[in-house]
Amino acid sequence: MSGAPSTGMLRTQAVAAVAAARGRCLSISTMQATAAWVACGQADERNVNLLGSMGSASAIGLGLAVARPEEQVMVLDGDGSLLMQLGSLVSIADRQPRNLYHLVFENGVYETSGAQPVPGAGRADLCAMARAAGYAQVARYRTPAEITAGLPSVLAAPGPALVSLVISGQGEVDRSAAPDLPDFGTQLANLRSSLTGSAA
Amino acid sequence: MSLTDTAIASKEARSLDPAAMLEQLRAAAVTHVVTVPDTHQKSLLALLAEEGDPALVTVCTEDEAIGVAAGLWAGGARPVLLIQNAGLFASMNSLRGISLDGRVPTCMLVGEYLRDPAVPSRRNAARVVHLTEPTLDVWGVPYHRLEQDEDLAVIPAAYEQAMRERGPVVLLVGAPTAAR
Repeated sequence: MSGAPSTGMLRTQAVAAVAAARGRCLSISTMQATAAWVACGQADERNVNLLGSMGSASAIGLGLAVARPEEQVMVLDGDGSLLMQLGSLVSIADRQPRNLYHLVFENGVYETSGAQPVPGAGRADLCAMARAAGYAQVARYRTPAEITAGLPSVLAAPGPALVSLVISGQGEVDRSAAPDLPDFGTQLANLRSSLTGSAA
Repeated sequence: MSLTDTAIASKEARSLDPAAMLEQLRAAAVTHVVTVPDTHQKSLLALLAEEGDPALVTVCTEDEAIGVAAGLWAGGARPVLLIQNAGLFASMNSLRGISLDGRVPTCMLVGEYLRDPAVPSRRNAARVVHLTEPTLDVWGVPYHRLEQDEDLAVIPAAYEQAMRERGPVVLLVGAPTAAR
């Protein structure tokens, strides 16, 4: 991964540390984090894996946070994904959802297409952009220990928060334990049913 | 009155009542209007901003609007999109990925910016107008036309169509909403 940061953590380590802090958060996972998130046992009825619409996770998270202010919503985004709808930083900050926590796995590349560097890799600062847009909190973690020490405090304070997770490699995902999941639309409808108590 | 004068008079006279549109949105039990503002519907937007019910959610791009509406729906809300025809074209990948492939109910008010209301949409000179209906046809997206106030009663039915069919339904706003 030529665009990947030289310092940082394995994605599997980051995902495991985030999963440990998740609690009862609703979660929207997309792209690079999804396989590890599922392998960590996080694909429950309060989680949706967004596939087939790269860039939309933060927008879906915003809508969910607005509809359900009593819930905490965690978005597991990628840097390439966020860059596709970068305006969502401003849309989220404009709405100021106190219950939205936007985690961005920054590996600096478009991994599935061959690890081409994302524009601005190593130069553009997503935390600074989020802060300038008006997010209430920003943080950057480079080790699992930093996540474990810092993320609970972020989740205990009002959002919107952007948390950059610096990823230097993938790690090994044990897919043997991953459940067979329905498609994105069915997961979203199931989430709606679980939140409203009625069929979609 | 010449034919030209008649066409101009027709163009000037045709508009939609924003209060009647709001009434129909409320009849559809819409909770949120997610928008990238549309010139054609500016008096409706002003009315929504004043009334606060349904709640207005303004975002930066139409791609985002479809995502935000999907999240609202997943949370149990009843959102509608309010965008412009150019924005519909801008949102096509999210329309495919979320509304069609993801089967998320997505009811959309789409203003026909640059439309001459006196001329059928497909015969308008501007591509942003005359390509809209053929594009929706190719994509298999159902649509209804709002050309005059009598058409507004279709809004609740269109909303329920989107919910029932689990997909997008477009309401083409073919005339500007009237000044208030």
